[in-house]
Amino acid sequence: MSVDSSTKEPPAEPGANQDEPKYGGYTRFELELEFVQSLGNPQYLNHLATRKFLTDARFVAYLKYLLYWARPPYLKYLTYPGPTLKHLQLLQEEKFRENIISPELVHLLIAEGMKAGVEWHQETETKP
Amino acid sequence: MDKYLDARFERVERALASLIDSIAKYNPSEKLGEELVAADRELAAGLQALETHHNNHARIQQLRAETAALDAQTKDIIGALWAMRKEVKNTHTTVYAASGPKYQFTTAELLDYARRISSTTLPPQAAINGAADRAAATAGAAGTSPDADDAARSSQGGQTPTASFGASFNGGSATPTQTQTQTQSQTTVTSTFTELPMNIKPAVNPGDGAVFYPWPVEEQIRGGALSAVDYLSTHGIDPRGYDPEEEEQRKKEEEQARKEAEERARQEREEAERRMREERERMARERERARAEAERRGSVATGFIQAPAKAQFTFLDGLDDDDDDD
Repeated sequence: MSVDSSTKEPPAEPGANQDEPKYGGYTRFELELEFVQSLGNPQYLNHLATRKFLTDARFVAYLKYLLYWARPPYLKYLTYPGPTLKHLQLLQEEKFRENIISPELVHLLIAEGMKAGVEWHQETETKP
Repeated sequence: MDKYLDARFERVERALASLIDSIAKYNPSEKLGEELVAADRELAAGLQALETHHNNHARIQQLRAETAALDAQTKDIIGALWAMRKEVKNTHTTVYAASGPKYQFTTAELLDYARRISSTTLPPQAAINGAADRAAATAGAAGTSPDADDAARSSQGGQTPTASFGASFNGGSATPTQTQTQTQSQTTVTSTFTELPMNIKPAVNPGDGAVFYPWPVEEQIRGGALSAVDYLSTHGIDPRGYDPEEEEQRKKEEEQARKEAEERARQEREEAERRMREERERMARERERARAEAERRGSVATGFIQAPAKAQFTFLDGLDDDDDDD
């Protein structure tokens, strides 16, 4: 990551601080929001694993830091809340970080994710 | 009741005894006989009353039993209610400590959020239809023959899945091929009946074969802010404090300033040229004037030549003087 994430505090909400330093024209909030949502994509996780990011202690610490997305006021900015939070939670597990390099697990996650993405809707519809 | 009946029995017995006595004395009295009949009737009436009494008694007993049973039932119910109330009051609501703290939110916020994420979490209808089959197919492919799937994918992409994100991200292309084969097999079965030909389907239904991903797809990730930052850093630009828009603006301004400077320089140059031309023209004019002057002077000089003639003429005075002197 080229963005300096050594700061322990989560970034400010948009509009809170106009003098927020920008990275390539984007605030830290925007970049971290995009990154944490990209984690919802199993193939992106696999990509990170193949680039050996998931074994880097600094990256693991960063993943732990990203857990602030599970709390308000940040929670409401996630547009893919299900897979994002699920994968963020799974990424806290060392076993998952080791296994996601396997294409089989990626395919399983894709199949399950797509199935769940459609079925949760049908379940709520069929409820009386 | 007993006394009542006893009195009647006594009366019957007495009447009977007196009748028997009277018969034994061989002096039967009609009056005594009538008395016995009356007593007997009384007894019969008494017995009827006794029956009613017994019935009433039985009824009372039954009602009492019923009352007791109902009382017991009521007591049971009340007792159960009390016990239940106590239980409910003593029951601690389950605290899901593991799931984290609870947060307050308003209905408006919730609805806002629901509206915002509806496009990314709610699959389109076309994706719902048959998405389950597709997912099952994908799961089956992943579960049963991942190697074959892998091989197919690597032959498609020409790269191994782990070579790059692009190669690992061709699940999107893998899924449509599966659906394609699937639907093709369907059409071969039902093409003679109701199925439209494959090439017409997308024209009729734009959502045909739509795939719903509940996460950002590769194109979104590639076109996002992170890739922009990555682009900057691979091109040797520190993204910190670097805003492409501002840079663009700055460049534009610089360009503008440069253009303006050029324009100014051009104008200055033109001005200088104009001035030089004017100068040259002025000089030419001056030269012309000088030449004309010179010419004029030349002509004036001939006048001067005549002037001495005049002078000579005037000298004539002198001559005259001379003459006068003469």
